[in-house]
Amino acid sequence: MTLLEVQGLRTYFKTQEGTLKAVDGIDFMLDKGEAMGLAGESGCGKTTAALSIMKLLPANGYIAGGRINFMGQDMARVTGDRLRAIRWRDISIIFQGAMNALNPVKRVGEQIVEPILLHEKVDEEVALKRVRELFELVGINPNRIREYPHEFSGGMRQRVMIAMALACKPRLVIADEPTTALDVMIQAQILQLLKNLQRELDLAMIIISHDLSVLAETCDYLCIMYAGKIVERSTAIEVFSNPQHPYTKGLIAAFPNIKGEKKMPASIAGNPPNLIRAPIGCRFAPRCYMTQEICNKEEPPLVEVAPGHFAACHFLKGVNA
Amino acid sequence: MTKDIVIVKDLQVWFPVRKGFVESLVSKEQRWVKAVDGVSFNIKDREIFCLVGESGCGKTTTGKAILRLVEPTGGSVKYFGAGKDALLADMIKEALHKKKITPQQAEQFKQSGGLDVRSLPKNKMKALRQRMQIIFQDPYESLNPKQSIYDIVAEPLVVNNLGKNEAEREKRVEKALEDSGLRPPKDFMWRYPHEVSGGQRQRVGIAGALVLQPEFLVADEPVSMLDVSIRSEILKLMLDLRDNKGLTFLFITHDLGVAYVFSDRIGIMYLGKIVELGPTEEVIKDPKHPYTKALISVVPKPDPRMKTEKIILKGERPDPANMPPGCRFHPRCPFAMEICKMTAPEQVFVSEEHWVCCHLETGAGK
Repeated sequence: MTLLEVQGLRTYFKTQEGTLKAVDGIDFMLDKGEAMGLAGESGCGKTTAALSIMKLLPANGYIAGGRINFMGQDMARVTGDRLRAIRWRDISIIFQGAMNALNPVKRVGEQIVEPILLHEKVDEEVALKRVRELFELVGINPNRIREYPHEFSGGMRQRVMIAMALACKPRLVIADEPTTALDVMIQAQILQLLKNLQRELDLAMIIISHDLSVLAETCDYLCIMYAGKIVERSTAIEVFSNPQHPYTKGLIAAFPNIKGEKKMPASIAGNPPNLIRAPIGCRFAPRCYMTQEICNKEEPPLVEVAPGHFAACHFLKGVNA
Repeated sequence: MTKDIVIVKDLQVWFPVRKGFVESLVSKEQRWVKAVDGVSFNIKDREIFCLVGESGCGKTTTGKAILRLVEPTGGSVKYFGAGKDALLADMIKEALHKKKITPQQAEQFKQSGGLDVRSLPKNKMKALRQRMQIIFQDPYESLNPKQSIYDIVAEPLVVNNLGKNEAEREKRVEKALEDSGLRPPKDFMWRYPHEVSGGQRQRVGIAGALVLQPEFLVADEPVSMLDVSIRSEILKLMLDLRDNKGLTFLFITHDLGVAYVFSDRIGIMYLGKIVELGPTEEVIKDPKHPYTKALISVVPKPDPRMKTEKIILKGERPDPANMPPGCRFHPRCPFAMEICKMTAPEQVFVSEEHWVCCHLETGAGK
């Protein structure tokens, strides 16, 4: 059964200069127990796409079209109490920058108890017991539930955030740049933890990162986003072994490979386009090394190049342009 | 043999721990956070020397202590760049004039070569900082949002009273912007930081350092806030400055991948000490210290097919105010032996330029 199915999602922002099309027609789906990575540069719409699923958009943002089918209901249309019941109980999120996402004047235990009491008819004692179990699960000493966020290190705070996301046994967890502010060693610990939890609890997970190498190790599927669109989508192994879109190739080449030769990685020149006035045709064309006339006129559709492997480019192997 | 630009010897930066009221009554002992605790290395002319370590290992403090943006509490920093000569001559002249030193002493002073950064008086330090500059980590927070890019880049000239008039300053700002890859400079000069992208902001930060025409730059995590796709452009810019302008870099990062492709020599820091140092390729391909090995193993590989054994260290680094005895790494070391808990390992050279501080290499544990 498909847990989450996003079809033609468009999320726009009203700004003074006009409508900013942050997410402009994306599709993907996710099954129970699968991990999907959303990758792309800053401003490509990956966080907006994820926030749309939880309907946590800022006041000037709105879903302009498309369907978000989550467990049989369209999240794009759910509002009010029904939305509040789904949030955190069925879908939860691990926010970017755990440093600032916790309330500094409340004990961490109380902060995690809160959603449990809100969503379930249990008393505080049961909830606190659950928090202790959660702490054990994410590798924190359960005796620390009475401490304040400042008493935890960065990596430990991120673990608290993960415990909080798991508090109501959700089906889907969204992790927005879960390791970006952390050191390599702590990053490795957190990624290992996320992966183990995902397997043990049979969680579906969406991991958002600009760092492809982080996603390579944790995700089953990858969506590469550029300027509000998905430009390539497939299994992680397929994306890395057989990248089709020039942007994906560029992103992969941009990584320093510590096991390989000592040489400077490539870079993608230029900047992403302004999404208030998105260019006609392929949005990547101004930065692409194989741009032809057609790229500036027509927008390439997302086509299946191999079973389950989609890419949007006019010059795909084996596809007539 | 290439000449050294900076020689750091036994550098120490200790911060006093403030005591609470009760504690100050009970104990007289002053405790210290030993952020940098005896670090020695040299940086050669036109070299990119890299310090790598986890946050809190003292790598940034080391960089700042070299420029005396934090005052070192011990050790020495000697500067050998060309810019020191004028400064040294100036100081000797002044001292002779005030009859503080004899001409013989002045001669000795000239012969000694390096300029002792730590003993420099404040006004001379300001002059030296024109030769030694720093690039900060966060291009989003290190630029004043209310200043135009011109004002930001021109500020060092104003502070140091350089440039005869506005026209000359403008010329130097233009040159600096061009050198840092913001071309044409006229397009960028009158914009504000929020109007340019993250990569361009970091270039503004670099231009602000270049405008004084330095010889030595401390680059503190200059690419860690940037998207992967534009990182290598900034790195290439720095390589270019090294090759064409003869700049020398101290590059500070927690990202071994970046350090590997970018630097000539590398020093691995752990809790205020360098545990391994050597030519980059040799250290990465043939690491000796268990900490280096662990760090290398956890760098994410950009390929899901590459399954490598990861050495994930348990726990986090100890509190630098409460250092473990013996080898500082032993509580987290998978190979810790009895001796590691008692005595700190000495430096052992494993090749001509590659040394490590570990009892596995000293052979003391056997």
